[in-house]
Amino acid sequence: MEELGTKKRTRTTGEVSLLLSIVLVFCILGAVVFSVARKLSAEMSSSAIHNLSESLELIKGTIEAILTKEAEFQSLIAQELAVVEEPEEFILSYNRNRTMVKISLIGAGKEEGISNTGEVFTAEGLDFSTGKTVNGLPVSLSYLNTIGTWAYTMKCPVMKDGREIATLYVEYIYESIEEAIPEGLYNGNALLYIMDAKSERLVLNPKGMGERNAGHLNLEDFYRANRILDPDLQEEVSQCITTGKNIMFYHDIRNKDSLIYMWAVNEGSVYLIGYVPVEAIQQEGRTVNQNILLVVAVMLAAFIICCALFYLSQREQNRVRKEREAEREVYNKQLAEALQAAQIASKSKTTFLSNMSHDIRTPMNAILGFTTLLAKDADNPAKVREYTKKITASGQHLLSLINDVLDVSKIESGKVVLTIGEFTLNSLVSSVDAIIRPMARAKEQNFDVSVTDIKHEYLVGDETRINQILINLLSNAVKYTPNRGNIWFRIIGQKQRSAQYEYIRIEVEDDGYGMTPEYLETIFEAFTRAENSTTNKVQGTGLGMAITKNIVELMGGTIAVTSEPGKGSCFTVELELRIPDSQDDGEFWRQSGISRILAVDDDPEICSTIQQLMKDTGVAVDTAGGGKKALCLIQDAWNRKENYHMILLDWKMPEMDGFETANRIREIIPDPVPILFLTAYDGDEVEDEALHVGYSGVLAKPFFVSAFKEKIMKIGLGKTPESTETAEEDLSLKGMHFLVAEDNEINAEILSELLDIEEASCEIVENGRLAVERFEASGEGEFDAILMDVQMPVMNGYQASRAIRGLDREEARHIPIIAMTANAFAEDVKDALDAGMNEHVSKPIDMKLLKKTVNQCIRSMKQ
Amino acid sequence: MRRLSAACLAGAAVLAMTACMAKAPLSNNLVANETEAKRTVNLFGSMEKSNPDAAENTSRNAFDMTVMKAEEKLNLTVEYRTYTAENYMEKTYDEVVLDRVRNGMDDVYLLNPDTIRILGEEGLLLDLSGLECVKNLRDVVKMANTIDGKLVAIPQEVVAYGLFVNKDMFETYHLEFPETPEELMECCRVFKENGIQTPIGANRWWLECIVFAQAYADMYNGGNTEAMIEALNSGEAKYSDYLRPGFEYLKEMMDRGYIDAQAAYTYEAIEGEGPDFLAQKTPIVMAYWGAANTATAYGNTDFELQVIGFPSSLGQMPVLALSGYGVSVSAEHMEETLDTLDIILSDEALQVYTEINRVISPSKNIEVECGSALKPLNDRIKEGSYVLASNAGMKMEQWGNVCLLVRELLGGATVDQCMEQLDTLQEESLER
Repeated sequence: MEELGTKKRTRTTGEVSLLLSIVLVFCILGAVVFSVARKLSAEMSSSAIHNLSESLELIKGTIEAILTKEAEFQSLIAQELAVVEEPEEFILSYNRNRTMVKISLIGAGKEEGISNTGEVFTAEGLDFSTGKTVNGLPVSLSYLNTIGTWAYTMKCPVMKDGREIATLYVEYIYESIEEAIPEGLYNGNALLYIMDAKSERLVLNPKGMGERNAGHLNLEDFYRANRILDPDLQEEVSQCITTGKNIMFYHDIRNKDSLIYMWAVNEGSVYLIGYVPVEAIQQEGRTVNQNILLVVAVMLAAFIICCALFYLSQREQNRVRKEREAEREVYNKQLAEALQAAQIASKSKTTFLSNMSHDIRTPMNAILGFTTLLAKDADNPAKVREYTKKITASGQHLLSLINDVLDVSKIESGKVVLTIGEFTLNSLVSSVDAIIRPMARAKEQNFDVSVTDIKHEYLVGDETRINQILINLLSNAVKYTPNRGNIWFRIIGQKQRSAQYEYIRIEVEDDGYGMTPEYLETIFEAFTRAENSTTNKVQGTGLGMAITKNIVELMGGTIAVTSEPGKGSCFTVELELRIPDSQDDGEFWRQSGISRILAVDDDPEICSTIQQLMKDTGVAVDTAGGGKKALCLIQDAWNRKENYHMILLDWKMPEMDGFETANRIREIIPDPVPILFLTAYDGDEVEDEALHVGYSGVLAKPFFVSAFKEKIMKIGLGKTPESTETAEEDLSLKGMHFLVAEDNEINAEILSELLDIEEASCEIVENGRLAVERFEASGEGEFDAILMDVQMPVMNGYQASRAIRGLDREEARHIPIIAMTANAFAEDVKDALDAGMNEHVSKPIDMKLLKKTVNQCIRSMKQ
Repeated sequence: MRRLSAACLAGAAVLAMTACMAKAPLSNNLVANETEAKRTVNLFGSMEKSNPDAAENTSRNAFDMTVMKAEEKLNLTVEYRTYTAENYMEKTYDEVVLDRVRNGMDDVYLLNPDTIRILGEEGLLLDLSGLECVKNLRDVVKMANTIDGKLVAIPQEVVAYGLFVNKDMFETYHLEFPETPEELMECCRVFKENGIQTPIGANRWWLECIVFAQAYADMYNGGNTEAMIEALNSGEAKYSDYLRPGFEYLKEMMDRGYIDAQAAYTYEAIEGEGPDFLAQKTPIVMAYWGAANTATAYGNTDFELQVIGFPSSLGQMPVLALSGYGVSVSAEHMEETLDTLDIILSDEALQVYTEINRVISPSKNIEVECGSALKPLNDRIKEGSYVLASNAGMKMEQWGNVCLLVRELLGGATVDQCMEQLDTLQEESLER
């Protein structure tokens, strides 16, 4: 952890250093850009002042040139006047033009003269006190002349022979200067007036250079309009104007940094005044600044993007690192778990081997021991029988042990294939009941079977495997429940999740030893077995539950268990089994003449189940919760002449039991309506009693339609229990002759001997080929059946069976061929049937089973 | 994010490259020699030209917008020449206008009623009756500016003068707005008695409106206007007979101290008397319609402003004065000038002008939406009750002459002296 912390700190320090370095680089760049921009700005400012000064100098030069030319021209006129004979006539002959609007002449020593307009002219009103001259000619103060425009007058002496004979006054208007001034200075952004320096009156506003509210009246108006209110500044300006100097200063005008200028013309007799926004002069400066700003903005954007990319990259790396760390942790955990599991498995297998060693050696010890004793006591038939019985029991136990081990091995290697077929819950429950009930009875245990809410009795699935599951669970329940304990076996219909599937829950509950929570965690794992002082006397491989779980999962179901030591366990299996396409078609019931029955049981669930199961049969089911109500219904039906065709009566009911109710029914209805008693107790006893008093029989609970049908058929055929017993007695092989294909001599001998015991005979061949040839060569009816081993040299059992079935003789198609093989798995059975064999009997040979199988085959062949 | 960053960088690169890209010169000569012949119209007015978007003065802004419209349509430039007197001793704007028109200095002039009359009689103004825009003009506009059958000037607005009164102060002293001269006199008495030093704020330009309202209320509202004017033009009737009551009335107001004659003699319009009116030291001033809409005049008062007509025997009487644009007969750019006038006086341009300035339009097709302050004055004008301060149909110019006579009255002349001068002026006009 400490190392991790140190690494993290080092990484963070590295990132901060990198970030600071980037910031530093950009700061330096920013500082360089800023200093460059500032230097540029200063240079541009200086350049702007220089530029403006040059422009004003140019305008000033132009105006001064005009004034000089005017003065020179006036001097020329004066010279001309000096030589003409009639100067007044010369004056009068002059026509006004746009520059010189008035020419006047006053003779020397006179007060009045004449103007070109013909008016009398006096010099009164003309103020030459400023002392300003142009080219040596005095210039008057500006004034508003008679044509409504600002004007000035220059006076020039008319000299003749060295003496002044008159004075020539010429009036010029400022508007004439306008033509020489560039229009729209600085793209019309500059303001320019011509101001008379003495009166401070603005005498000309050149076209394109005026602006509203700029103060176009006089200097004071100019100050006011442009908010130049600093007295010191105004004083400085006044001093400059008085001394005829130029002045230029910065000032904000309407929020624009501007240059104000007052430029002296003609030694300060008139001034060019106005202002221009700095940005108007520095147009290229704006572009430069914009570009600098753009560069800075791009740099900033690049910086931000760099930071963002850096940050994102770091974040991405952190994320990847964290993910990898998490992944590693998961792997480590998985590895640890796998190691633990392997260790547990190894331990389990060691334990298993130890158990196996013990479990196999125990019966083997018994077999070998008794074999030794058998050899010793061969002359004592009683002991021989006792020893052989014990040898058989030990062998049986050893066989089941081997079967379980092989089953697990097969399941674990994924080689199990389900054999799907149609079956009835009735046969399932019956077969399970037939196996478990005797076991339970042996331990004086109460074994309760119930089937509720099942909608379909005929289902599709692997009946053998389901059987295996149930027997596993129930045999465990029997095993792990002490004497006089209780075992409940329930099949409960669940709400269907699909119309095509019956959803069932199977519960196997006991009030036995129970299991510890620790054991519950591993109960479904192979090679484990609950071991304690109570159970270690119970023999088993510890594979049953693992097999069960695997089969349940193979069927797409689930298995769960709840248990408490000393209180018992409850296993729950949930399965979805397909409903076959065609259920009961109702034909059977019509032929039997049954369309209406009455079910009487004090348990309403049973009544409901009967109704539900009979729903598809087309038979109307009325139910009654007790004998009295049943009698009422029967009486009522009798009165309406709609008699019941069958009455199902619970054997044990409160108040009025089944037997009494049946007797009362017989009193009400004269017609012998078939009555079947429903019972969960030992059916044989009840049936005996029922038959004894003349009732139709007994139907074992739980109710199944198939069982019901069988019972009806039984009633209809008039078969009696005695006939069944007779059939059982017929299971004999006496006088039969078999063809046996068996390559193992010992097995062949054993079989031969066993058949001999059964008073049957056989002919043994060593392989399939010989079996085929022997059968081909046999006479009609020579053999009753063929017992065929599967794994044989030359030709195996499957090939031989196919060959026999393919022979061109009638008997070859019907003769029973029974597989007798150590290949004992379900798929082996399937393969055998596919090859044309009739049945499959696994080795070691169970003679009882063999007898039953052979007889069944022969019977069906005959039919 | 990476894609976005790449797009941003690419965008920045394109921007930078575009910014730095320069256009290659088309030829070796870097100077453009092609210049269009510049068309101009010279206008002489009282104010500088402005950028219409930036100007602060609403009135000029509206005028400049119409000019801009003409410049755009005709592809020419209207050059402004201006003059403003520095003080009352300098030449007035009207005097300078007269000089400039007589010397043919400009093309078109903004003319006050008195100069229209003078220059029209001198034959220096062009007859504008042929312009397209004339057919839209109200009759009163045409009547006021027609001399010897020639329409010599056309205004952009009909300027209505009225009394601007502080309604709050009138209510404070429980006074009704005056309908007759006597009622105004009574109001002034009450104000004066309540410590208002000068009940009527006046300047050297607009006092004559009080005289005109009393003098010509009957003439312009009696249905016999033409005959009465004809009598004056023929000398059968005397202007002094009409105007004397007004002068006597003013004299009495001055004598009673309701008008400060000395101050009024030097006050410029609004600049002089305006501050006292806005400060509620003076309850009554006189001004033109637009002053009620202009923030720099009386458009933003701290009290409730009402503009009413001048008192007369026929009740409150608005006084209409029509300035106008006249074209010099010797205009250098005659065609351009007339085209420009046709545009700036068109209904389209006058609509813009009227909407901005909220004034009475000379076009009979355009109505004004005035504010509540101007409603009393506007109601009277709509009723057709008003007096003309200038009428080119009268041989003797009214607006300027009477203004000067009132100024003399302010300067100390007697009513009789003023009337004598008036008679002299009438005689001179009859001789022309």
